Amino acid sequence: MSKLIATRAIRGAHKLVARADKELNQALEEKSPQTRVEFPNTGYYLPISHGILGMNIETLGGLKELLKEAKKLLPPIPDKKLWLPYLGHTLDAGMATLFADEIIEAIKYTQNPLPYLPEPNPKDGHLWLGAANDVIMRERGIEFVDGTAPGFAACVGYCPSNKTAVEIARELQEKNLYVFMSAATEGKSMAQQLQEEGVEMGWDTRLVPYGTDVAATIHSLGFATRVALSFGGAQPGDYQKVLRYNKNRVFAFVLALGPVDDEKHAQAAGAINYGFPTIADTDIDKILPTGICTYEHVVSPVPHDKIVAKAIEVRGLKITITKVPIPVAFGPAFQGERIRKEDMYVEMAGQKKPGFEFVTSKELNEVEDGNVEVIGPEIDEIKEGSQIPLAIWVEVAGREMQSDFEPILERQIHDLINCAHGVWHMGQRDINWARINKEARKKGFTFKHFGSILHAKFHGEYGKIVDKVQIKIYTREEEIAELITAARQVYEQRDARIADMTDDSVDTFYSCTLCQSFAPNHVCIITPERSGLCGAYNWLDGKAAYQITPTGPNQPVKKGKVIDPKKGQWQSINEFIFNNSHKMLEVFNAYSIIEYPMTSCGCFECISCVLPSTNGIMTVFRDYTGMTPSGMKFSTLAGTVGGGVQIPGFIGHSKHYIGSKKFISADGGAKRIVWMDSRLKEEMKEVMRRIGKEEGIENFLDMIADETVAITEEEVLTYITRMDHPALSMPPMF
Amino acid sequence: MKTLAVTGKGGTGKTTLTSLIIRWLSRNISKSILAVDADSNVNLNDLLGVPLKNTAGAIREEMKFKIHNLPGGMTKQRFLDYKIQSSLVETPDFDLIAMGRPEGLGCYCYANTLLRDILKTLSNNYEYMIIDNEAGMEHLSRRTTQNIDYLLIVSDLSIRGIHTAGKISRLIKELETRVKEKYLILNRVNESIPGPVTECIKEEGLNLIFSIPEDGDLLKTDQIGKPIWPILEHSLAYKAIEQLMKKILQ
Repeated sequence: MSKLIATRAIRGAHKLVARADKELNQALEEKSPQTRVEFPNTGYYLPISHGILGMNIETLGGLKELLKEAKKLLPPIPDKKLWLPYLGHTLDAGMATLFADEIIEAIKYTQNPLPYLPEPNPKDGHLWLGAANDVIMRERGIEFVDGTAPGFAACVGYCPSNKTAVEIARELQEKNLYVFMSAATEGKSMAQQLQEEGVEMGWDTRLVPYGTDVAATIHSLGFATRVALSFGGAQPGDYQKVLRYNKNRVFAFVLALGPVDDEKHAQAAGAINYGFPTIADTDIDKILPTGICTYEHVVSPVPHDKIVAKAIEVRGLKITITKVPIPVAFGPAFQGERIRKEDMYVEMAGQKKPGFEFVTSKELNEVEDGNVEVIGPEIDEIKEGSQIPLAIWVEVAGREMQSDFEPILERQIHDLINCAHGVWHMGQRDINWARINKEARKKGFTFKHFGSILHAKFHGEYGKIVDKVQIKIYTREEEIAELITAARQVYEQRDARIADMTDDSVDTFYSCTLCQSFAPNHVCIITPERSGLCGAYNWLDGKAAYQITPTGPNQPVKKGKVIDPKKGQWQSINEFIFNNSHKMLEVFNAYSIIEYPMTSCGCFECISCVLPSTNGIMTVFRDYTGMTPSGMKFSTLAGTVGGGVQIPGFIGHSKHYIGSKKFISADGGAKRIVWMDSRLKEEMKEVMRRIGKEEGIENFLDMIADETVAITEEEVLTYITRMDHPALSMPPMF
Repeated sequence: MKTLAVTGKGGTGKTTLTSLIIRWLSRNISKSILAVDADSNVNLNDLLGVPLKNTAGAIREEMKFKIHNLPGGMTKQRFLDYKIQSSLVETPDFDLIAMGRPEGLGCYCYANTLLRDILKTLSNNYEYMIIDNEAGMEHLSRRTTQNIDYLLIVSDLSIRGIHTAGKISRLIKELETRVKEKYLILNRVNESIPGPVTECIKEEGLNLIFSIPEDGDLLKTDQIGKPIWPILEHSLAYKAIEQLMKKILQ
């Protein structure tokens, strides 16, 4: 941070403390030290001194103690020649400012007549309301806690025009934010501008005029402090908890409008203590991330039409839209509805017209939140029964957004759009298909509403990663044809990323207990490199299924501490297996056929088993009904392996697993395969050739026996000896 | 949603009767009908006079085959859902889905779990679901079809037909598929029911019997391989179906 801004804040703090000192002495000359000071109808003592310092100030004389604390905190004004780290000093100066503010405002309440109207709303020309009483605080404070009101904007100064003032106020209101106004600059304040424009103000409209004095800004922070005490369970004097509660729960910020003098810099420094950043419309020095606020601390200059959006972004405020703004009912109950052709108003994409859906991430300044554009004809421009193309292009931005989240959000488009009554959706990516029925059309549902749904729900359900969402709906073939190519390239890149995933690259596997209904002790552990043994489920399916049904048969299992990286054994996996196999299995190795191999339900695509004299294994696919060199047919083998028991030397697995680098890797991998049934061998020939190449074995595929050359173990041994199969020269399997 | 399932020994005319039922319902009660061809022969669509796009069985096989290279990032559930929904034959009078061949060897629990869920959700969108089952009731035993309101077991006047009907009736009990009402439909009845057949029906413990007369028009349509849909309203069999449906639905 710059020395300049620190200097200004510290200088402002000095000015305000000096002013508080002067005004307090003056008041004590006129009135007795026993004169009562309080903000009327508040159960607390003066909120800042009470909340931060634990002081219970009740009299004018008592303010002297607070003044002492303010003076104690005041740092020296930075030397012209000496450069220091200033953040700590600036924060102290800010706190001293708040103490001074509180003294100045408390004194006002001893004056007659009272400069403030102790009512919830302005009345009879009395504009300034001062501190909120307890009824207001209880009523409104709870909104901050339950999220009805995300926070407040403390607006100091004035706007260049009344129109701008009204626009900013309206925009803040639309976001359900409270607008607290104080501190006139050059005799003008935002509240007066709103008054001139006839805008209704008061707690009821969430536009609260506190006072013209810069010190009146304390009522914003006083309010925040009281929220922490009343709802946050913070004890008076536990300043850490008060401040942290505000940083984490009360989404407030300061809008500095118009010229920012030293005193206003000092207020901003005070607000930073609470984690409230300042956004200015003029060019003042910035304080970028340093760790007190969530993101930046002081940001400037920001144009008026962007200032609210910027403030929301900098404060890390998450906008939630409680009701999806569409003219038809919305809810998961409508997800299963199919729109019959007879009831359909329009069909989009599907088998007859092109279409796709795409979510991409952008920079925060590239996305205008809530902007939905329809490119091509809207629903009222097309005839009933039409079939038209459809592309849904979503751009999201967020401080926590990563490109890895794009496909996750993209997958949600289906579920979300399907929630609209009278709207039906199928598929994803470039296989999408939607219908809107006549009734939804009659109620006023338009293509634009696809965007409204996604905007509202992405904020609502993925607020953690999404700060801004804008959507383009394309309904014309020309644009779609062009964009689909770009989208497809991204799809391909994503797939490549998934294909490259390894067991080592994730910290979580997924369980599958879908088959426990008939193999009660069996648990599948699905890893990126080992799909479920039925061949139906891979790691991504497990993950997706868990996201859809968190209590379903697919649960995430953390790997935990590595016990044996080669055999694939992890502590947490063992624990999970133990608990979910009804305590039948204690240890499990993901990559071994010999030692504690994975069990099978009975669903396996393939069975592999050791042929001891060959120093290798045979692998048979379930469609092969003939005899195998193990002396058993598939059905007999299946009876041996299935049912959730560990049989060393036998595993059930998917075809896909044979090609995995982790296929019995602890025992030497796919090189151990000495026999396959011919159909499996044919199907897997590319994979086996690849493995041979990787292992530097020429003609590996030909070295593997099948039922045309060997159906007994002796015949296999004879064959592989003649072919010089690599298994013969490998270390013994057990 | 009401579910009506038709079953019986092969060659007893159950598919023909199924199409007549669909036609009558569509003309008189509702067009919100999902016709399900659960016979692996797959010919309900021929009788209804509509072309078939795909069968659920073929889709399931395709999915199993493509298991590791489904369109990127798509879950099996969503892929299957999309394919099943697009295999639906949509007409102004009814929608039709064909189940196709029941599974081959190997494990189908996962695919069938998916399929069952999809069909359940799909069928809830219709007022009526009419299922043409084969005698083995494969889809019933695999639980790909759900509870049934009215089960019509079709037989001709042969002893073997009645025995099959009895077997089906017992199988249903074992399957724990809830059936509200069970009818024995005797098809191609010209005159009275022969004594031994009546005896046999009694032995099998079947009741709620209904007869459909032999219908020359119907026979002719069948012989030349024409769809049943445009059949004349006054055809004998159609009249009988009308009476049957009125009785069932009252």
